[in-house]
Amino acid sequence: MIAWFSILPHLILAAGGFSIFCLGAFWRPRSAGVLSGLALIAVFLAGAGVFLTTPEEPQFLGMLEVQGYGRFFTVLIIVITGLTLLFSHQYTKIRNIAGDEFYGLILLAALGMIFVADAVHWLTFFLGLEVLSISLYVLIAMRQADPGSNEAAVKYFIVGAVSSAFLTFGIAIIYAAAGTLSIPQSLVIDVPSGGISLIFLGLSLLLVGIGFKISVVPFHLWTPDVYQGAPAPVTAFLSTGSKAALFAALLRFASYSSDELWLYLTPVLWVGAVLTMGVGTISALAQIRVKRLLAYSSVAQMGYLLMTLLAVKQEGASAIMFYLPVYALMDLGAFGSVALLSAEKADLDALDDYCGLAYVHPWRSAILAISLISLAGLPPTAGFIGKFTLFWAVLQSRYVVIAIIGIIMAILSIYFYFRVVVALFMRPAEATISIPSVALTDRFAGGVILFFLLLLGLVPSPVFTIIEQILPLRGIP
Amino acid sequence: MFPWLSLILFLPLVGSFLALGLWRRPLACRWASLLVALVDFALVAGLFSLNLKGQAGPTGRWLLAEDFPWIERFGIRYSLGLDGISLMLILLTAFLTVLCVLVSWKQITQRVGAFHFFLMFMETGVLGVFLATDLFLFYLFWEFQLIPMFFLIGMWGHENRVYATIKFIIYTIVGSLLMLAALIGLYVIHGAQTGQYTFALYQLVHTKLSPAAEIWLYAAFLLAFVIKIPLIPVHSWLPDAHTEAPTAGSVILAGLLLKTGAYAVLRFAFPLFPSAALVSVPLLLALGLGGLFYAAWIALAQRDLKRLVAYSSIAHMGLVVIGIGVWNIMTVSGAVLQMINHGLTTSALFILVGMLDERVHTREMDNFGGLWAKMPIFSAFFLLFSMASLGLPGLNNFVGEILILIGTFGKWPWVSGIGFAGLVLTVIYILWFVQSTLFGETRNPQIKERHLEDITAREAAILMPLAAAVLFIGLYPGPLLTLFREPIQGLMALFK
Repeated sequence: MIAWFSILPHLILAAGGFSIFCLGAFWRPRSAGVLSGLALIAVFLAGAGVFLTTPEEPQFLGMLEVQGYGRFFTVLIIVITGLTLLFSHQYTKIRNIAGDEFYGLILLAALGMIFVADAVHWLTFFLGLEVLSISLYVLIAMRQADPGSNEAAVKYFIVGAVSSAFLTFGIAIIYAAAGTLSIPQSLVIDVPSGGISLIFLGLSLLLVGIGFKISVVPFHLWTPDVYQGAPAPVTAFLSTGSKAALFAALLRFASYSSDELWLYLTPVLWVGAVLTMGVGTISALAQIRVKRLLAYSSVAQMGYLLMTLLAVKQEGASAIMFYLPVYALMDLGAFGSVALLSAEKADLDALDDYCGLAYVHPWRSAILAISLISLAGLPPTAGFIGKFTLFWAVLQSRYVVIAIIGIIMAILSIYFYFRVVVALFMRPAEATISIPSVALTDRFAGGVILFFLLLLGLVPSPVFTIIEQILPLRGIP
Repeated sequence: MFPWLSLILFLPLVGSFLALGLWRRPLACRWASLLVALVDFALVAGLFSLNLKGQAGPTGRWLLAEDFPWIERFGIRYSLGLDGISLMLILLTAFLTVLCVLVSWKQITQRVGAFHFFLMFMETGVLGVFLATDLFLFYLFWEFQLIPMFFLIGMWGHENRVYATIKFIIYTIVGSLLMLAALIGLYVIHGAQTGQYTFALYQLVHTKLSPAAEIWLYAAFLLAFVIKIPLIPVHSWLPDAHTEAPTAGSVILAGLLLKTGAYAVLRFAFPLFPSAALVSVPLLLALGLGGLFYAAWIALAQRDLKRLVAYSSIAHMGLVVIGIGVWNIMTVSGAVLQMINHGLTTSALFILVGMLDERVHTREMDNFGGLWAKMPIFSAFFLLFSMASLGLPGLNNFVGEILILIGTFGKWPWVSGIGFAGLVLTVIYILWFVQSTLFGETRNPQIKERHLEDITAREAAILMPLAAAVLFIGLYPGPLLTLFREPIQGLMALFK
């Protein structure tokens, strides 16, 4: 008897995606309202499905983990998808890109993300990653008439293909070394002398593949171009959902891996974290385009998370699990409000065009400003508690030098985050741009983000309680 | 016990959202903010009538204290404590906020709702810094006050406001983020030693630190605080921020933000790291004296009235740092008193310059002179507060300065001597400031021909209480010094 109930959210998302495709194919009117409503309902049901079912087994057929950790990230990805759909409703309708492919692919991408976050088997992991990537290739190219959008899609496709190649080869080598495709077992195997180097090689290739996806320097070069070219809600989805999912997987691998293996990886990770924070922050300083600036900012944010991954054997895991939802909210808020502030033809991008917008559109600008203040890590926002938690975990594990480097980068990052705030609030408008009015869905999404950014900044305890119940993450029960 | 402190702390926050909600009706915004600020001031003043006595509670000896768990994961608590020092400082805060609403009545005409939102938001931040006894809570408020200030300068400031506000935020963030790292470091070390992870000040003061660790942690804390004070050589944000800020912004900066820096040195940096603090005393004294002379020297070269007052702030705060650095009862009492005094006199001078600016739209000294004939009452106030600022006996600053310098003489006679010489320089530039503004011929022919309105009833309502406070402290400082004695003795006891 297969416990299908334990993967109810996954099934609902898949069914939702396919029914939207079917409607698109056989139902002439293809009303955008109905399609987006259907997608929202599917996401809502999937979310309800997580809370309604209590799986008895921790794993589903040895493929997916459906308790604790997996459920935490399933909920996170469902929330991200829901907010993305809310932000896209009006955006896609005005720009005439609302169709079955957009909403169906968003649901499928979400399914892929959940697979990646839940996977305890290398095949599910790879499958999830491919579902996620292929959906995103199309989503990025959604604005077919826009050369920038197409360029971004091609870039993301090539990078994605290369990273898949690395991943497949890495998984193959790990399989060769460990003799099993189960993730926990392959990472804690009792390695014979000489064996460690093979599994280390496999893991390194795997990390390169993941590194591409979460924009670890030096594999980050695609990030600004793709973020800039993709439609803003898709960028929001890409920068939060896919990063959260892959980081969840990375955290899982790190927690499962034996201490011996981990010891080998630490120096690589140290250098990678410093480079990612440094290059992300310093490149962002010079940007004059907001989407590129936010792209580099997300690179830098990944750097902070990688730094914290060093401490995974102590308190790092709980810090990362707190920061990922916070990061998702902040980036969704930032890219979402960019979408709301964009004119019909192209997304609002040049920093000069943001000047004085706060006086015309105070609420949208306030969401952007508060998201940026949160990304900068200032109280009373969730970003502050998040940053505090990260640095606490790192210092707790006595990584003092990298913590100081991180602090210096955080100081530098204040400058570029506040440059956008200054443009919005303190510079006179240069030209008036006509920006479409917001729909109810946008207001709702913006309100939710604002509310949780402030709530988690003041009352973070409930989230920590949940995380404490989930951790520690054990490989083999 | 009724949570008076929380009420005082969060009432302005409620007021800020009230003001934001009324943004369509500017006048209602002003009245609502004024009302909230007055009620808050009345509440603080009402604390005196409670006849508070210092009581030893779970978090130390306080007149009033509150303590609740907040983020249990990290042992962070919401704990507030009030002693004589913080009582006077929150009284000053509540008082100056009322004045800020009043001085902005005519000056701020754009985006009134948002202005009052940030102003009241700011008050909560400053009050929090003076009341928090949990280091995490303190840090939260410490950063919390940055954002409203950033917007106050950047949205309602003068021509160069964007440059000034970015400079302000970068300077302060450099200090405070390094302090955050040190704070977490101290927390981790304390937790590893005792097994109890906490940010409570009364527990962290007992942490045993290796000399090297102590020096580094202390340096990070001190840097954050001296940037706010500001001490040379990290003062350069101050003249820009003060000059570009609207009058209310300058009043808050000079009257309150600078005080949070000095207060934090007194409350946190010295007690947490006593041996490192003792090592740093000569450096602090040298920088304090340096600030006194340097700022006086630069002030003599200023043409902009606001900039001149800003530099006088650096000089006065240099003296406060000397008072804290010498660390005996007399000098620390003097330093705390001087913090209050500086808050009153410098705010008054900024308000007066702001009033001039409102009338003639310039702050260039070359345009003025001969104001005494045109606006006698205004000029009388101007003279009074200038005299207070240069330390005329009988007015408030004199008491603080004399306490600091006499207290210093015992252990550091040279410092005291040089300090007195520095005060002479202060006399020179303040007299020059007064002379070129009030007396002689009006140099700008346009202003000379114009009729300038003397102070209005609203302006009198701002200046009278300030003048009364200046005279009161100058003539009868006893009650304040009594209030400070117990907490300062408590601080001294930590060093034995």
